[in-house]
Amino acid sequence: MRGKAYTSYARASAAAQARPADRKPGPAAESPAGEAKARDFGIMGRPTGRVDGREIVTGRAVFTHDLKLRGMLIGKILRSPRAAAEVVSIDLAPALALPGVAAALKLAEGRVRYAGQQVAAVAAVDERTAEKALALIKVEYKTLPAVVDWEKARDPNAPQVRDGRPNVDKLNEYVRGDVEKGFADADVVIERTYRTGFEVHNPTETHGSVALWEGDHLVVYDSTQAVHGVRDGLARALKVPAANVTVIKNYMGGGFGSKLSLGEYTVAAARLARETGRPVKILLSRRDNAVCVGYRPSSCQTYKVGAKKDGTLTALALQNIASGGIVPGDDVAEPAVDLYRCPNCKVEEHTVFTNVGPQRAMRAPGHTPGMFGLEGVLDELAAALDMDPLELRRKNYSTKNLGDTGVPYSSKGLDKCYELGAKAIGWDRRNRRPGEGNGSGTLRRGIGMASSLWSGAGVPGTLADIVLYPDGSVEAVCGTQDIGCGTRTHMAVVAAETLGLDPKDITVKLGNSDYPWAPISGGSLTTPSVAPAVRDAALKAVERLKAVAAARLKVEPGDVVMADRKFAAKGDPSRSATFAEVCRDLRRETVFHGERDGLPAGYAYNTFGAHFAEVEVDVETGRVRVLKYAAVQDSGRIVNRLTAESQVVGGITQGLSAGLFEERVLDDTTGNVVNPNLRDYKIATSFDIPAIDIQFAEPDDPRINNLGSKGLGEPARVPASAAIANAVFNAVGVHVEEIPMTPPRVLAALKKKETGS
Amino acid sequence: MREFKIAEPRTAEEVAALLAETTEAAALIAGGTDLLDELKSGVSKAELVIDLRGVTGLAGIAPEKAGLRIGAMTRVVELAENAAVAQGFPSLREAALSLATPQLRNIGTVGGNLCQRPRCWYYRDPQVVCRKKGGFQCYAFQGRNKYHALFGGSGCFIVYPSDLAPALISLGAMATLGTAKGDKTIPLESFYALPDVDVSRETVLAKGQFLKSVWVPPPPAGGKAAYVKIKERGTWDFALVSAAVAGVVKDGALAGVSIVMGGVAPVPWRLKKAEDVLRGRPVTEALVRRAADAALEDASPLKENGYKAELVFAALKQAVLAIV
Repeated sequence: MRGKAYTSYARASAAAQARPADRKPGPAAESPAGEAKARDFGIMGRPTGRVDGREIVTGRAVFTHDLKLRGMLIGKILRSPRAAAEVVSIDLAPALALPGVAAALKLAEGRVRYAGQQVAAVAAVDERTAEKALALIKVEYKTLPAVVDWEKARDPNAPQVRDGRPNVDKLNEYVRGDVEKGFADADVVIERTYRTGFEVHNPTETHGSVALWEGDHLVVYDSTQAVHGVRDGLARALKVPAANVTVIKNYMGGGFGSKLSLGEYTVAAARLARETGRPVKILLSRRDNAVCVGYRPSSCQTYKVGAKKDGTLTALALQNIASGGIVPGDDVAEPAVDLYRCPNCKVEEHTVFTNVGPQRAMRAPGHTPGMFGLEGVLDELAAALDMDPLELRRKNYSTKNLGDTGVPYSSKGLDKCYELGAKAIGWDRRNRRPGEGNGSGTLRRGIGMASSLWSGAGVPGTLADIVLYPDGSVEAVCGTQDIGCGTRTHMAVVAAETLGLDPKDITVKLGNSDYPWAPISGGSLTTPSVAPAVRDAALKAVERLKAVAAARLKVEPGDVVMADRKFAAKGDPSRSATFAEVCRDLRRETVFHGERDGLPAGYAYNTFGAHFAEVEVDVETGRVRVLKYAAVQDSGRIVNRLTAESQVVGGITQGLSAGLFEERVLDDTTGNVVNPNLRDYKIATSFDIPAIDIQFAEPDDPRINNLGSKGLGEPARVPASAAIANAVFNAVGVHVEEIPMTPPRVLAALKKKETGS
Repeated sequence: MREFKIAEPRTAEEVAALLAETTEAAALIAGGTDLLDELKSGVSKAELVIDLRGVTGLAGIAPEKAGLRIGAMTRVVELAENAAVAQGFPSLREAALSLATPQLRNIGTVGGNLCQRPRCWYYRDPQVVCRKKGGFQCYAFQGRNKYHALFGGSGCFIVYPSDLAPALISLGAMATLGTAKGDKTIPLESFYALPDVDVSRETVLAKGQFLKSVWVPPPPAGGKAAYVKIKERGTWDFALVSAAVAGVVKDGALAGVSIVMGGVAPVPWRLKKAEDVLRGRPVTEALVRRAADAALEDASPLKENGYKAELVFAALKQAVLAIV
């Protein structure tokens, strides 16, 4: 059944791809190694439509939510209404007595530490019966004191979130040079505090799993960014061999980091399926999404920065307090430690535990809030120095990591991003000094920018296969996930480019833990991990095909050229064989294993970018509108221009949204999220998104991998809120210093400026 | 979702009779854009849902006594696209267009918008039993209250979220209620009641009564009106503060003037003190500021909604300047 279920998807996918090619096949690369320079790609780097676009937009693509298996039960989870309590007893009997209920589980023992923590689960014949059954479960709680607000949790007398351990813990420390000396050497020293709130991932498709057992083999369809990780996690949780677990994720409606690891609901579905012998489906609600599957933790970052009159940084100190509920928050220091040349740097970060659900990684964890703070203080420093913010950044440009004290960056195109972005936005139109001129009536305009820094090098050891069939058909197989970013299409593009075919000629198989290993689809790892592995496998296939073609054409393998679905003798195009004919000569299906190489030591591998925003602020209503936006990314070689642009638009939209609107609101008394929906948790609409100019400063990274490609998903998110905040600063002359920049916060900042306090 | 019975009456009389006779908790369903959510989450405990879609005579916009009669079942999109509304009542059209999204305007009705339940996040939380739901306290009062009432809150600090209500009230609209004893007409302004009247509901509708239609009187000679909605994002957002202003402009001053605000109080909030300041005086920004300050004498800001005081001025200024 497992095989069949998957095959039916694969067939549907293949059928959708079997359309006439509307593009000329690309020329193949000629040499497998040392080819980072001067490649003339035919397909890569250009816009290629999604190979699965038609399936998705016509609703034929099957998402985890869509799955209906024969005999499938619906599972539901009961959650604690208390932020802290001792679970005295759980009585499942009344639920089990309800007709249509197949199984029930206790999920909590002892303490519950946040409102929304799982307590029990049921599986029933349909959703309504499952809901009724949940209401019948009797749970006796002994309510304990809880603390929800992180500022209150810092009080030594606040209720302890973790048994016998203080609520405040060290998170991160870093020292380089001597900051005190650096501040003493400075002509100007400023100190500012920046705050970022709780941002909820809110993927379109909420979390969910369908689990079934075939004998002792567990198959789980999961909306996940990590089929291999979920498989390993399930094996550990259920004490079964990893070899007996298969995790499948075919299509997915987003994750943004909230689906990187095994979900508690997935384990519950697997247990209920084992107990009932039937498939069990558990889908989380939109409310659950705000309560128990993570969010971006908050930060409260105080920067002290010193500089010479000419802008040379002499010292940079950062103190941060993060909060991530019952788990630690995120370290936000890397931008401060890394990006600008500065000999003296000191970081102290703490985390505060609260009775709130655990945070989860969210699109560039740490870097996104960190860059909001760092780039904010850079702009406020530029104002104090009466200097162009871009000049200040150029003045302190680094070519080595750790503030120019570490190892060289393998490639860094940030300077080019500055240049291209400044031109695209019309940097010269900005207010020469923040808040000076530029506006009519109650409206003030301004332009600001911020830089991007992220890792995104990819994971060595990622595996992918190219399978050639005797009929000339080609499969690219990798146990990665397409979480909506276009990985299927990337794999097809790289395979087609290398094999001299069209992307539509490639049948892509992914999203299955039985396929060759690939890392999580997160951390901007996917393209720089998977594309080089596919490339490697395809290059090996080319080598073999050329050898086989050489035999057929009776020439040396080195004298075979590949183009336009044909292999021909060099200098004699009349002697040729089609791609299919050469495949037939292979006589059987042949698998070529590809692997992503290691990263040469002695270099830092990072992505960069610069975003520029123009905003208009209504000083009477506090409303911010973004009028124009220009983004330039250095992510190395771009595989597919179309989906790359989509990533950038998505990153900016999310950053704009977090910068202006998005904020999870907690009730201090109950610990409940009061806006666990899409009405009160406000996400940007199409009305809020300006025209966006996107460019790629594409320095080919010479050693990162066989394609020179770096990641893009997070780099496009990192600077967006920061650039908009700096544009607001340029418009009104006061930095709001907290996101989201809602009307009350903007009005409060303006009042602060007016009263000078 | 809860189980409920559904009734499908054919006439307004049947609706009134059903409402009068039922012993169960009853709810009317028109567009259903909100009621279904309330039923799913369990906030609405309705046991009997009375479907108005098959009832004759409740939909449509028609001229009446030089004004307009707007049936409760008229879709918001029809109001927004109606030529007579655009011609004679631009502020009403603006209010209709500012409301929700095209999808919701296509389904939502005028009556549903005027009778909607509050969006207070404590009221909407099925786990919370607040005063409005028969509990003992208003959780917003000392809780999270960025979107809550600046005026008129007493024991319950919801804001009335309708865009149409302020615009209609500023134009002097009348509400016609269907009752078991025949129709009854009252000013739309009196249709809404503060929490101290009955915290469990937002209108004066008694058992057996429902909203059938509203009538907007013809605009006076020289009459002008504007609706300004201040919201956080570009669309699909309730007003932080909205202002409907209607008046007769004469020599740069407002003669008759009516100001009603949304998003600031548990009912559409009439700013009589601001009207008194504005009436008959040449309009300047300073006068609008004085008018807003006069109105704000009645404000009792909570911890997180003080910014709305500034928005009251901003919305008033924009609306007044739009017509003068």
